[in-house]
Amino acid sequence: MGKLYEIPLGAQHISLLEPLHFKFTTENEKIVDTVANVYYVHRGIEQACCSKFKFRQVSFVVGRVCGLCSVSHTTAYSQVAEKLVKIEIPRRAKYLRMLVIELDRIHSHLLCLSHVAENSGFEALFMKTMQYREFAMEMLEAVCGNRIQYDFSIVGGVARDLKPGVSKMILEKLKTFKPQLDELVDIYQNNWTLSLKNKGVGAITKEDALRLNVVGPFARATGLAVDVRNETEDLLPWKEVGFEMILDKAGDVHARNMVRLNELYVSMRIIENIINGLPESALVTETKAFPDGEAVVRLEAPRGELFYYAKGNKTQILERLKIKAPTFSNVPAMVEAFKGNEYGSAPAIIASYDPCLSCTSR
Amino acid sequence: MNRIETSIDKVKEDIRNFYKPELYHFMVINAVDLGEKIEVQWFFSEYANPSNIVAFCVQINPDMEIPSIRDIVESSWVAEAELVDLMNIKIQNTAKGFVLEPDFESGPLRKKK
Repeated sequence: MGKLYEIPLGAQHISLLEPLHFKFTTENEKIVDTVANVYYVHRGIEQACCSKFKFRQVSFVVGRVCGLCSVSHTTAYSQVAEKLVKIEIPRRAKYLRMLVIELDRIHSHLLCLSHVAENSGFEALFMKTMQYREFAMEMLEAVCGNRIQYDFSIVGGVARDLKPGVSKMILEKLKTFKPQLDELVDIYQNNWTLSLKNKGVGAITKEDALRLNVVGPFARATGLAVDVRNETEDLLPWKEVGFEMILDKAGDVHARNMVRLNELYVSMRIIENIINGLPESALVTETKAFPDGEAVVRLEAPRGELFYYAKGNKTQILERLKIKAPTFSNVPAMVEAFKGNEYGSAPAIIASYDPCLSCTSR
Repeated sequence: MNRIETSIDKVKEDIRNFYKPELYHFMVINAVDLGEKIEVQWFFSEYANPSNIVAFCVQINPDMEIPSIRDIVESSWVAEAELVDLMNIKIQNTAKGFVLEPDFESGPLRKKK
């Protein structure tokens, strides 16, 4: 056995965009143990939501939990609040929520892929992926008015309708994006240099994923079929708009890349189906009820299962709001997946987890 | 949400009898400050029937230590560490300083007296 060295990575590091700290124990550059710390950015949002804001305002507060999956938070919160006040939202609002969630998934997955490319030492692919991601940002701006932190879902429905011409623009942009996505798939799938950095690296098995309760693309890359869109039809009709689960087997960085890329085709199909079959109805169900009782909601955010628990007490202020982000569930598996890999591979492995500490620490 | 009310003495055994990694997905542990008591909730969903969300619920006095379930659900250490920091709940073999810095005042999510 060689000498053991402890090497810290983060919380501020050139290859880490998130304030996450890992302490690796290495033997001859090989990682034999890892300790993770996530305590750098706790913002007390749950407490603020239960003390400073009325329950209708909370959807705007939780939209600030994360810049990337803002719409997942506002939608999950709106759904849990709608359960507490016992209302059903209009059908058009459900479709518009799904539209923005899928546009959001496209930009989030492309951001993750670009960081994997960058951390694998492939700067040109980072730039190309970010360039192609711009279409999703433009679409989100056209639909929501903002590129990030779009306060789109509100308690009872959605805050705005599609402006004239936006549907046509989205369909046209999707056509432009399709060959760009094909090109990205070809590079991530077949590029020899990238394969050296990504194939067989940072792998976990399906059994490990089950044992460690992994969620999102991280789990699906191992073959574990978990996707909330496949499970909950009562709140958003995912199967009606063409949802299909994407799985891989290898469970490594490459498999995670491929799951995310192939999920973009599914997202594109869902968006196309929504635009072509958008039902006519009101946007919001009004109610004067106050939240009462307790409820839980799960929603598939870009990184996996997002969980909201809320408890009301017949007043404007919630008794308790609990947010469980997907990265939080994946921390045990992150620690596990480093073992046996070279320290030099750690940045690419971390990027492939797509960690979001903003969500985790909220 | 399927609530299973249990007690501090029985909760670990109940979860041990219930949890099978290939059947159930462990989601999170939550705690609600009820004033005099704290309700701790262990959340699971069923892979085959995911809308079946099961919550084992226990009401405890704030100074009581609750058992760790990480020998049953390996990944639960993150949720346990979070509860220790944010709710100032004592959990068997779980130290402060994972979600908040170790010298931070514990229990920011507890109601102010």
